Amino acid sequence: MNASAPDTSVTLYICKVCGWIYDESKGDPDSGLPPGTRFEDIPDDWYCPLCGVGKADFEPLPSPTSTVIPPGQTLWPASRNHTGVARSGIVIVGGGTAGWSVARRLRALDPQVPITLVAACTADVYAKPELSLALSRGLEATDLQQESGQDAAQRLHIRLMPQTVAVGIDPQAQRLRTTRGTLPYDALILAQGARPVELPAFPASLVWRINTLAAWAALRTRIGQDTRRIILVGAGLVGCELAEDAARAGHHVTLVHQGPYPLGSVLPAQAGARLQQQLRSCGVTLLPNATVSAVTRAKQGVAVQLDAGQTLSADCVIAAIGLQTDLRLAHMAGLRTDCGITVDQHTLQTSNPAIYALGDCISLNVQPCRYIGPIAAQADAIAHAVLGLPHGGYQHSPPAIRLKNRSLPLELRGQPDPAAIWHTVHNTPERLVMQQRRGATVTATLEV
Amino acid sequence: MLPHPSHTVSDLPPEAASTTGNTSCEGLSGRIEQIARTRLGSLASTIDQDGYYPLDVLEELAQAGLFSPLANRDAPDLVQAMRGVAAVSRWCGSTGFLVWCHMACALYLAAAPDASLNTDLLVQHLKGARFGGTALSNPIKAQAGIEKMALNATRVSGGYLVDGTLPWVSHIAPGQYCGAVASLGDARTEQVLFLLRLDRPELLFKCPHFSGMEGTSTWGIRLQAHFVPEQDVIAAPAAPLLQKIKAPFLLLQCGMAAGIIQGAIDSMHEVEGVLGHVNQYLHDRPDTLAAELKTLEERVILLARSPAPQERDYLLDLLDIRAHGAELALRATQSALLHQGARGYLSSAAPQRRVHEAQFVAIVTPAIKHLRYEMARLAQEEVPV
Repeated sequence: MNASAPDTSVTLYICKVCGWIYDESKGDPDSGLPPGTRFEDIPDDWYCPLCGVGKADFEPLPSPTSTVIPPGQTLWPASRNHTGVARSGIVIVGGGTAGWSVARRLRALDPQVPITLVAACTADVYAKPELSLALSRGLEATDLQQESGQDAAQRLHIRLMPQTVAVGIDPQAQRLRTTRGTLPYDALILAQGARPVELPAFPASLVWRINTLAAWAALRTRIGQDTRRIILVGAGLVGCELAEDAARAGHHVTLVHQGPYPLGSVLPAQAGARLQQQLRSCGVTLLPNATVSAVTRAKQGVAVQLDAGQTLSADCVIAAIGLQTDLRLAHMAGLRTDCGITVDQHTLQTSNPAIYALGDCISLNVQPCRYIGPIAAQADAIAHAVLGLPHGGYQHSPPAIRLKNRSLPLELRGQPDPAAIWHTVHNTPERLVMQQRRGATVTATLEV
Repeated sequence: MLPHPSHTVSDLPPEAASTTGNTSCEGLSGRIEQIARTRLGSLASTIDQDGYYPLDVLEELAQAGLFSPLANRDAPDLVQAMRGVAAVSRWCGSTGFLVWCHMACALYLAAAPDASLNTDLLVQHLKGARFGGTALSNPIKAQAGIEKMALNATRVSGGYLVDGTLPWVSHIAPGQYCGAVASLGDARTEQVLFLLRLDRPELLFKCPHFSGMEGTSTWGIRLQAHFVPEQDVIAAPAAPLLQKIKAPFLLLQCGMAAGIIQGAIDSMHEVEGVLGHVNQYLHDRPDTLAAELKTLEERVILLARSPAPQERDYLLDLLDIRAHGAELALRATQSALLHQGARGYLSSAAPQRRVHEAQFVAIVTPAIKHLRYEMARLAQEEVPV
């Protein structure tokens, strides 16, 4: 294929921010784009249905069949460095958005460098934010899967090791041990994500945690076609989105949360009250100021016991109480960590020069940043650094936080400080705008 | 090699504690290393190929204090015990394995409620007056969901009747004993761990010829309504004890790997003067392997000193370090053979023997594949049924 010729085969475009894929054959009917709408014909005021960015933030995604290696061609030329020692290549741990983003950038910059992607899951490509919108859209797991991991690996000419757990690192020898063999590496990129917080009150055998497509698919199967009594615990972004999604899908949803209002850790009471009202209008029952003390098996479904003594019964309980980085590998490798893997702000390099990290597993300024927005830029910086290519460095800015609830789309920009005062800028029944300021500088803006 | 930790104080009667005749750790270690070097250095091939069962060497090593790190029943000194396994395995993998079997059996005896086991027999065991091994390969695999329990026990007055066959169990012989586990009742959900006394020769049957490690006295065991008296029961239910001994079981096996790797590095250094000019073109050179061995040993010591067998991360670390040891042993022994060339390929040469010693470490329970299977299972995201 001539790289300089316009590629007419491209019919897929990926949102660089959230990973959502625009497929010309499917269009975006929810936004008024019928199937068959060419990307260039999409009006400029169209926004990504998942994260809200504009057309400019999309890039072409070559179709899986367009770059299949011809039969007989060696996948890997014998890459050698100047000392004559065979190169081990780049190993990526994690088959989620972060892992695939960095694999895509590396391959775009270097068509030959050996890349191995180690994924505990099947590494199928999907947009994680869609998991909290899929029930009400009547989607199945196969609808959410944009591309199989194997197809993506073939398209990018990388070696994929699916359902393979990275279990150990020898940082001196530069070897990664996995459940399917040990891999030497020249550069190791940790894109392992974060895992749901585990608390004794929420046994994994009874309580769902929706952090992967596989978990969502299992929940979808469990729910089946019946109307279910679902209890959501935790009213952060994911809890609020899942609650509304399940309620819109026709289920009986109770949202149990600490504090007086949903999203209480980031929203002022005035906005929290609006969100509470909107969730109620969607049919969600809210139980504020409540803490779950135990979840146990009941005759039919599960019983959720609250600290105050009340017991609720449900068919499914979903905990959305937060994420934490699994630091076991990082500790074994002797990497500097705090609440996540500590990385250089500009290169995303860890305290070990051969190991980089991005996405949900890292911390920047002693803060985790578990949003999909910054991942593309992080992947770009790492890909340049690993390949020794010049790059201006990653510039971190807190991404806008968007609540994808259809009843009350909400956006929070800047650096909200839970302790600072919110000033009301605009307040009508249709729209609420509030700001936090330091002197004359606006530090955070909230629009509901 | 593993650094010298401070030695634990024995809680056994003075007779057992004094079997070493020496409470100095440095002295103990030096004598063990000396016996291993002088006795096993020349015997290793006879043990490995001709099936010589070196009980005399084991007794000598026991007298030198090889097993005294396990004398403290509640707090065995695993680091020191591992050093012992490694010191022996460096010279002879088969004997290193026998030491491991003997130590595993000592851990069962120490956990037994009956004084005839936890004191009388343990004393004899630690000083090398009595010998016995472990038949826990099958129950450990069964616990990990890899295979079914081979022995089944029925409760009877005064004890249990046990039926079943175990294909190969090492460091046993007529008159010796081993720890064994049988499932209980029809549901087979519970298990009992007991001391199986091999006091009748008909309980044992011969195994086929192996490619090496012939001197490990490996037999098949066939039990038909075999009575196990109550006082020989070590744990019922067995699950809590099986979980508790998992860490020492695996960490002591890492001692076998560490010793074999060190032996392989020794063999490389032996020929560096004469073959260094061509060996420089090999990968996995002795300095590379020594650095990886050091990393392995440091991690083993860390895990031995901070046991947390209930925690998922600790279990993963434990399984990973055991697999790491086996993988490194395979690489190191392969490389040592390449470094020595034809001289290492002689049937009496240590490098070729160590290749199958390392293969043994990689396939003995838990084998690399079992370890990976279990790590994958532990790492799996659990969802409600």
